[in-house]
Amino acid sequence: MDGPAALQDRSLRKLNSLLEVSKAMAAAIDLDSLLGVILDRATAVMEAERASLFIYDEETGTLWNRISGSLGRGELRLPLGTGIAGRVAQTGVLLNIPDAYADPRFTPEVDRQTGFRTRSILCAPLVGHAGRLTGVIQLLNKSGGGVFTREDEEMLEAFASHAAVALDRARLVEAFVEKERIEEALRLAHDIQMGMLPRPLAGEGRVELAAALEPARSVGGDLYDFLVEGDRLWFMVGDVSGKGVASALFMAVAKTLFRASIQTETPLATVLARVNRELCRDNERAMFVTAFAGCLDLASGEAVVSNAGHNPPYRLGPEGSVAPAPEAPGIPLGVIADYVHAEARLRLGRGEALFLYTDGVTEATNAQGEAFGAGRLEAFLAKAAAPRPEDLVRGSLAAVRDFEGGTPPSDDLTVMAIRYLGG
Amino acid sequence: MEIREERHDEVLVIAPVGRVDSNTSGELERRLLRHVAEGAVRLVIDLLGVEYISSAGLRVLLLTANKLRPLGGQVVLCSMGRTVREVFDLAGLTALFPIEASQDEALVRIVAEGQG
Repeated sequence: MDGPAALQDRSLRKLNSLLEVSKAMAAAIDLDSLLGVILDRATAVMEAERASLFIYDEETGTLWNRISGSLGRGELRLPLGTGIAGRVAQTGVLLNIPDAYADPRFTPEVDRQTGFRTRSILCAPLVGHAGRLTGVIQLLNKSGGGVFTREDEEMLEAFASHAAVALDRARLVEAFVEKERIEEALRLAHDIQMGMLPRPLAGEGRVELAAALEPARSVGGDLYDFLVEGDRLWFMVGDVSGKGVASALFMAVAKTLFRASIQTETPLATVLARVNRELCRDNERAMFVTAFAGCLDLASGEAVVSNAGHNPPYRLGPEGSVAPAPEAPGIPLGVIADYVHAEARLRLGRGEALFLYTDGVTEATNAQGEAFGAGRLEAFLAKAAAPRPEDLVRGSLAAVRDFEGGTPPSDDLTVMAIRYLGG
Repeated sequence: MEIREERHDEVLVIAPVGRVDSNTSGELERRLLRHVAEGAVRLVIDLLGVEYISSAGLRVLLLTANKLRPLGGQVVLCSMGRTVREVFDLAGLTALFPIEASQDEALVRIVAEGQG
């Protein structure tokens, strides 16, 4: 029989052990060390020979041994409902078994493997956030051959709730770290993608060109390219079907093909035929690119253009007129390998400009679900009255973002303006 | 987006309802490719309930047609609204698909071409 002093001493010890666990949790040590502290304290306070902790794996519906005194980590897997631990996990109710071998729910399999002789068992469920089962904690063999008491049950439940919180927290941290890793990879991909776009056109007195691309997510499927070679300015704005990483990869291929083709092939129709043929090759996913491409003769202002299923651009007169540019409509690149895209011709006078864009402009929506539309774009261009390409690009982006009023863009957005100054 | 299905003898009619864009086209793709894998060769895709289709949705239709072609199968589209029609026209894809005004006409066509 314990005297009052002994009782008081034991209560104090128990309180202290819980305090230690709380301190260990606050110290933000790693999960295994923390669970180690919990098991270690539980074993000592409740005078057990051994303690172990099982994690519930939702995907497989099994419990696995995360950490214990003698069993190695991950050695043991129990289906839900099997053995005492499996039963506790299934029912969510603590079990106190005075004599394991007399209980039909006990499976002596583990004892046979380890040579350990289980006598008494105290097992409690770990119930995490929103009542979700995260695992079970189990004590084996009350020392001195006794049985676990009602007081031990309450104590183990206190330890179990600490362990459950620790596991929940660890899961959140893991999910957060994984999310950070993915975001970092996407940030890098974004930088690489933006790095593929050409530098601003400089040192060319016959033409001004400005362009901008803003992906809706980290990476996108819009693209543009331009290159001055001698007397010719090649230009292109395109949009890959869909968005996200798959589109970004296809965008990179399309952009590279265009750049390679304009350096070796002329005329424009031949360039597009080559890009198209290559994009069709092994295109298992039926990805495609809509594109508007052209080649402007800087000496004469004559341009050859071709439209592969893209939004037709606008032609802006020096006096402020806005008209659809002539185009030769065709199907997107990457759809039919032997398709021949037709060419259209136009001649830009001094001060005349072309405004190219992707549907991220016209399909930008506001909080009411209205689309920016061709009407608003034309109104902007008319009001802009043929200023510098730089202003057209910046102004059109601002008009779209202003219209969206903070509604997150759902599509990538690209604009390009080219003004011919004369040969 | 919701996907309705109906079988008319050898022809499967798939009717997506709502927006077919980059958020929903994956679901339509899985559904169509599953039917192709399970042996469906004649598909009518009824676009009556589609309020908007993006390039991601067009890709799924192209993909399905590409998968069926080597199997001797076919996709016939029907019941396009004005908005959907504009997207097809803009992308220049109207000429690449057999398109009928109504589901009935699409069924007649796909059966006739299947026999021919």
